[in-house]
Parts: sequence; structure tokens; C-alpha cells
Amino acid sequence: MSFLDRITEGWRKNRKPGYHENFDYHWAMTIDLDQCSGCGACVTACQAENNLPIVGEDAFVKGREVKWLRLEHYWEGEYPDVKLNVIPMMCQHCDSAPCETVCPVSATYHNQDGLNTQIYNRCIGTRSCAVYCPYEVRYFNYNDHAWDSPLDQQLNPDVSVREKGVMEKCTFCIQRIRQAKDNAKDDGRRRVRDGEVQPACVQTCPSNAMVFGDRNDPKSQVSRSLRDPRAYKVLDELNTNSSVVYLKKVEAEG
Amino acid sequence: MPNIDRRDFIKLVGAGGVGVGAGVVLRESIKHPREHLIPHVLAPEDYSSGVATWYNSVCSMCSAGCGISVRTREGRAKKIEGNPSHAVNQGRLCALGQAGLQVLYNPDRLTGPLLQSADRGADGFTQITWEDGLTRVASQLDVLRAAGRGNRIALLTRGVGGHLAELLESFAEGVGTNRLFHYDYAHPHALYAANERFFGEQQLPYYDLSNTRHLLSFGADYLAGWLSPVHHSLGFANSRHGGDNRGYFVQIEPRMSPSGAAADEWVPAKPGTEGILALGLAHHIVASGHYDGDDIDEWKGVLSAYTLEKVAEETDVSESVLQRLAESFANASPSLAIGGDGAANNSNGVDTLVAINALNYLAGNVGTAGGVVFNPNPAGATSHDHQANYRTLAQLAASARNGDIDVLILNDANPVFTMPLASEFKAALARIPFIVSLSSFIDETSALANVVLPSHTYLESWGDAFPEHGMGFSIGAVSQPVIAPLYDTKATGDIVLDLARRTGNPMPWDSLEDCIKDGWNKIYQRNASDTQTDSFESFWRALLKAGVWGEKNHRSNDSFRPNASAIANIGVDVPVFSGDAEVYPFVLQPFLSTMHDGRAANLPWMQELPDVMTSVVYGSWVEMNPKTAENLGLAEGDLVDVESTEGSVRAPILVYPAIRPDVIAMPIGQGHSNYGRYASNRGTNPLEILSPLVDESSGNLASNATRVKVVATGKHIEIVKTSGKSRDLGRDIVQTTGGSDHTAQTNSIPIMVIPT
Repeated sequence: MSFLDRITEGWRKNRKPGYHENFDYHWAMTIDLDQCSGCGACVTACQAENNLPIVGEDAFVKGREVKWLRLEHYWEGEYPDVKLNVIPMMCQHCDSAPCETVCPVSATYHNQDGLNTQIYNRCIGTRSCAVYCPYEVRYFNYNDHAWDSPLDQQLNPDVSVREKGVMEKCTFCIQRIRQAKDNAKDDGRRRVRDGEVQPACVQTCPSNAMVFGDRNDPKSQVSRSLRDPRAYKVLDELNTNSSVVYLKKVEAEG
Repeated sequence: MPNIDRRDFIKLVGAGGVGVGAGVVLRESIKHPREHLIPHVLAPEDYSSGVATWYNSVCSMCSAGCGISVRTREGRAKKIEGNPSHAVNQGRLCALGQAGLQVLYNPDRLTGPLLQSADRGADGFTQITWEDGLTRVASQLDVLRAAGRGNRIALLTRGVGGHLAELLESFAEGVGTNRLFHYDYAHPHALYAANERFFGEQQLPYYDLSNTRHLLSFGADYLAGWLSPVHHSLGFANSRHGGDNRGYFVQIEPRMSPSGAAADEWVPAKPGTEGILALGLAHHIVASGHYDGDDIDEWKGVLSAYTLEKVAEETDVSESVLQRLAESFANASPSLAIGGDGAANNSNGVDTLVAINALNYLAGNVGTAGGVVFNPNPAGATSHDHQANYRTLAQLAASARNGDIDVLILNDANPVFTMPLASEFKAALARIPFIVSLSSFIDETSALANVVLPSHTYLESWGDAFPEHGMGFSIGAVSQPVIAPLYDTKATGDIVLDLARRTGNPMPWDSLEDCIKDGWNKIYQRNASDTQTDSFESFWRALLKAGVWGEKNHRSNDSFRPNASAIANIGVDVPVFSGDAEVYPFVLQPFLSTMHDGRAANLPWMQELPDVMTSVVYGSWVEMNPKTAENLGLAEGDLVDVESTEGSVRAPILVYPAIRPDVIAMPIGQGHSNYGRYASNRGTNPLEILSPLVDESSGNLASNATRVKVVATGKHIEIVKTSGKSRDLGRDIVQTTGGSDHTAQTNSIPIMVIPT
């Protein structure tokens, strides 16, 4: 077998559906829409944890805000039989991610934990990935961002600050995952315990709607939650194989 | 050897010297500025480079008193999370709590004491020293105290609880004034008054959402602003999916709030008729035999006027809906009715909340898990004892106008922003000769001060809190400084202690820390047998580490019976609104937004957090029913003047699908004229145009009882919001399922640990 074939084979092996079971972790999240109150705590927690910029009003007008996690609002019906459906939307960490195949410089790729990751210093800012993402959860830095002193003292030293011309998006708080893995290693454990790592949004969710964990572990809370009959994926018809799974809102009769 | 004479030699040497000199200058000029790495020779014990240190403390962004854990790195606070051991929030935190870091690191924070050297209200503050500032204030206080005219001093603070509240009280006593007022715009005055009338105690009970199967919420936005939103959110989640039966939630309010959106059913009753609706349900429960107490005849008597037919007419909710609501409420066990916010801030607010208490009693929800659970007395002071309602503040303003107040001490309260213009509070403050503010920011009220002595933020200061809504048992938490003070500021308590010393009236503590510790020592003495610690010092260390402490003193709850006069007084009048309905066709509902009562408007994270219902950022808007907007020819972004009898404010229309056609709503929080770069000159403040209508039973401002008209200006602006299409357009993004699909989930609610 030639050198090239070996590489191709190795690459193919890890492009087949379900390949994640070969690895230690496959991170996933469930969000129970019947428990979510749409309060926005996750949005601010994400901003605090991940050094998201304060973009200013003009950027919002141009649609250039940077929110790795946002709430989408959908009204249904007319007064008085009207409902508001709210859904937290962030990078779905698709196992068949449309954004990954399109990047000309492979700045976005799938890592062994099932995370869709973005390499900031490889990104050349073509914004193709944002065009291909059906969830519209990739955010481009149209400007360099500044924090009025001393707001910069809040910046999380574990997360890099991105500059102009770079695409960014939700990382499932990869710095926390790494920290948890390090802690596990230091403690002489082979694996991270279930619940040991929580992204900032999951950690703060006041109505406990979000669950994060390893779906390779059938006993983990997220695996249990994934087996819920209410589980569904947004825009599943696109076969993105997303790692964020929502639990349907229940419409009960009084 | 070349032929160089002496003259050439000197020239060459000179040129060389100039060259070297220029080189040195050039080299120095392009060098990076010198940076020193100064190692901690003796690093603090809890300082380790690259390793995060967590401190437990208490959130002070609203009055709920959630426990927080603050992550610090290299002496700087980086992230606030909920304290998992704290029973109120169990590790969780709302957006406002997360944004507390921006209070600490706000670029508009005051860095030291200021003296107003121009006219008050002008931007003429100059830096002074603490010594100078404290002397100026102390001399003013001392003159009045020595002359026995201490009552000409007034203290106005934001609601503070715990031992700082006691310290302020004893300070006020020391200088000889009884004018000590706590003021929070959102304080539930009507709820306290209603509980006193029906339950006979001026205290909040614990509303056990977690275990209830059926919740009727009359206007209380329990998930976003009412009492303790994080705790209620946990309860809501647990009721929905923590057990085998999914809890059912009904929200009765004229404008859909976030809690209304999360509810299973939203009932848009006429504004102010929530209490009538509650009594209609009560009538049906009694009449249909769901209640069988021996005082049933009395109940039948007082409820006889509230037949479903009449109530349906008053409330604009159909009889069949009322009947269904009553039946399902009575049949569910346990069920719970709560009331607040819009329903409480009316001319009949207290009557309304009493009616809701009665409804709970008739359905057997008082004193039961999943219902209304009575709290034992809190282990420490709460702010309620001195909370000033609208009437009290209006009296304070009147005293100021009469020239009865010489000195006003402000602590982080901003009544100029939250009081209606009709109260003429700002003009009244102008009559007070000397105003000192202890705020960390120049807000609208502090701008009028002579001297500003900036206090620490809550993350730099000692403190403690005893949540007023309780947990069914006493709970307290200590707030400790998580970082060294950023600026030349002092803790509120330390400023007060210093002023007390300077006015020859020292208090028994050297510092705020002392005072807090002393207070906890008393709590320790009372409970020493329960604490499993052998000395106060070890108790104190355990307390700081855990950040929270709970007393094992549940109250037995099953014996409550309302007395006959409480029953006889039940009844809700038709609400009174200010303004002629012919001229002013809409009822204005100002609601607490992500900016809370305006205090969060200087936090860029909160400005950039899309509104929970509308996704608007950075601005104000007027919510209007689509049909009404169509009739008036208005569309989103059309600027209108909202006029009441008291004045007018200008904001763009936002067509809001879930609001009654006869109601418009505006968010509170924007419209600051001061308060820093992120808050000032942005949006409008609807509180300005409220009419000073007061609920006589509580002295509470009937803030939802102002009628307004909407006048188009012909101008148009673009409302800045993040949600593009507000409809799903068949993409099935948020999917739903029938009620039978309910599954009990094992929730990841952290196990509650109460250190004893």
C-alpha cells in the first residue's frame, strides 16, 4: 500500500458515520424546549466565558453582532390564541458538517471528540462556511473589537481574543473540556466523569433545560436524554447529523 | 597611514560622536516601553499563577439573594457562576447575575471621592481626598446632630438586607433621625400588605413552584423578574419534568410576559381585573362543592357577587374558560396561585392579592408542599422593614420642599429615574442644601449631589443576605470581597462607620467586616449545637467556604385559618385608571425588562442581550396589538408620542402579537440622562409619564393604571433587533408534541447541600 493510500484510508475510516465510537468522547447536548423559559442567561454566560466582543449598536444594525449562542423567537397564531416559541441556537457541531467541507484552508475541521472546531490563525476569512451553515451560527469579525478599560480585565485568559477577518463560533467551551480532561489525568482517572464538564450556558441555565455530556457513554445523562421520545434535531432533513438535540415542547390541554 | 591633520581628526571624532548620539537616541526611541515582571515574593496564599481561585459570595444585582461563586485568576474576577450549595439558585444564575462583572469593571465607575464645584446637576465634579470628603459630610451631620436636629438628615438607600441594614439603622439612630428609607422600584409592597391582611403576618411565604402540579399566575412574571426568578425557574423546570406528572402553568395578564410565553395557557384578562377573576374562580370552587370547610357560609356570603357570568363580563374572559380554569385548579393537587407585577400595581392591587391568597386557601394550598409554605422569621434583617413605597417617598419629597431636610445621604438608590415626573422628586431634591451620594456611578440622582463618596461594588465588599422569600426554612449567605478594590473606594458600611466616628457617635465595630462577623457570631451562638463546629472561627471559615448557611427551623404549616374579618373584607373593586378613556384609549403597562429597573442599563452585556420577547437591543419600544396598529395605520418603527395626562415620551412602535388591543406596553430601563456611556441618551423612560395614582391599602404606586394616547409623529426609525423573520415559515424549527408524550426526566439539579 502506497503512502498516499494509507493516508486516504485513514481519512476515510474517520469519515464514516459512527466513527466517533472509536474514540473516547463524543460530546453532545440536549435542550428541553419544554423547560426553556427563554430568559437569556445562557447568552450572557457565553459572552462572559468566551470573550465575545461588545460590538455596539451600529454592528447590530448591520447584522454584524457576535453571539455564539442566541435565542430565536417564532410567533405562532394570532391574538388571542398566540404562542411564542423560543429556541436557543448555537453551533450544532454536526457530524456531517457542511461548513467543514467548504473551507478552502481547512480552518474548520472535526476533532476526535466530535467537536466542530475553528482554527483562528488558519482562517483567511472567505466566509464560505457561514454561507454553507444552515443554522447561521457562524460569526465573522468584520472589525477588531476593543474593550473599554478596565472591561478588558474580565477577559478569560483560557480563551483567545479573535481579531478582524476571522470566523468564530460556539466551541462547546472547549477550554472547559480540556481542563476537565487535564483534571481527570491529574487524578489518575482514564475518563472525565459525567457532569464534570459543563459549557457556560449549561452551567448557568436557570430552568435546567440544557444537558451536556458524552454520548459514547450510554449511562451518561445526555445519552438518557437523547433517548427521550421527544428528541428531535433541527433541520434534520439536511442530514447534518447534529450533536445538539432538542426535546419537543409539550402542548398540554388544561 | 592616510594623511590626517589635527583639524580633520577633530572633525571626524565630532561627526562620530554625533552619529553615536543619534544612534542612541534612535535606539531608545524605537525600544518597547519597559515592562517589568514583578514576582510575588510573598504571594497571597490563594494566589497561584494559571490556576483559578473561586470565592463564594452573594449576588446583589437584584433582591433575590442568589449565591455566587466567582472565578478569579491572578487577582482578577473572570466569571460569575451560581453557588451550587445555595438553596435559592442551586448553581444557576440569570443574565443579570452574570453581568455583575461589568459593574465591577465598568469604565464609568467612579475612582475616588468627588466634590461638585459648579451648580448641582452640572457636570462640575472635581476629585477630592477621602479625608476632605468625609470631613465635609461629617461636619454637616455633626452640626445637625449636636443641635438635636438630626431628623433633618435623611438616608435613602437601595434595598439592603443583613447586617448592613442593621448598621444603617443604628447609624440613623445615632445621628438622631428616623428618616431611613430603603427604596427598590420593584419591591412587592402590595404583596406584603396582602399577606398581612389575609395571613396576619407581614412576611413573604415560600411559593413552592417546584412541587406544584398546577400554577395560576396572575400577572407575576415569576421567570423573569418577580421575587426570585432563578429559584422559580428551577421550580418551573422541576414541576414540568422532574416528576411523573407534568405541571400545568396558566398565566393571566394583558400583555404576554416571558412567563406567559413559557406557560401552557395565556389568558389576556382586562388589566386590573385579575382579582375579580380570582374571586370568580373562588366562587365557582365554593359553589361547586370543592370546598367544604366549616366557614363555608361566610365564604359563600362574600363571594356571592362574583358569579362566573358577572366575572366574565368584567374580565373579558369567557365563562367556559373561567369554569375550566376553576375546575382544573381545584382538581389538581397540589395547586398554587400567585400574583404580582402587573396585577399588583393597580389601584386595587392589595385586594387582588388578598383574593389570590383566598383562592389558595379555598383550594387547600396553604401550608402544603406545592402550595404556599410559611417561612420562619429570617435569621437576619431584610430590607422590607424600611422599604419606602411611593407614598413615603412622596412625603419625603414634600418634607424636602418644605425645607425640613438639610442633608440627604444616598446609597445607590436612583429615585430620580424611577419616580414619575409628576412626583417632582428632582425638584424636591434641589431644595435639600446638602446631598451626599455613596454610589459607584453618577446616576440621575447622584448627579445632584454635592459630594460623592464612591462605595465598593458588591464584589469588593463584605456583606450578607437573608432572602426575603425564604425557602420554607431560614437561609443566609455571606458576601465576601473576591478581589482587592480596583479604585480608591470604600465599602458603604465603612463609610458609614467612619462618619459615625467623626460625628462623635462611634459604633461598636471597627469595620464592616467586623460588623458582619459580629452579627454571624450571634447567629452562631444561637445555633451552636447545630453547627458541628467547635468554635466561631471554624464556623466562620466553613461559612466563607460554603458561602451559605441554613437553619433547620421549618415551621409547622397546617393550622392556618383566616379570621372572620379577613374573610369579610374580601372583595375587589373595579380598577381605577387615570385619564379619560375617551381621550386616552390605551392602558400603559410598563414592565421590567432585561435592564431590571434601569440599574443594568450601564452594562454593555445587558444592552446587547436581545430582549427576551422581542429580541430588541439598545433601545425602547412601544408594544401594540397588530389589529390596533393596523387601525391606526402604524407599522414597526413608526415613531409615536405616548401621551398621558402627565407628559409624553417618544418611542418606535413594535407590533406585538400577544397584547390586548386596549393595552400598550413599554419596557422600563432605558432613557437615562446620566449613568455612563452605555446607558445615557438611549431610548425613553416610560415611568416619567405615569400618573401618581396610589393603591390606598399599601401606598404602592399604581404603575399599571395610567391611560395614554398614541400620537403618530410621521417619523420612522429602524428598531434594532436580532430576530429576522418572526414566523417559522414551515421550517418546523421549534417542534411540539401532544401532552401524552410527557416523560419524566432525571434532572441535573445539583444536590442541595446546606452546611450546618
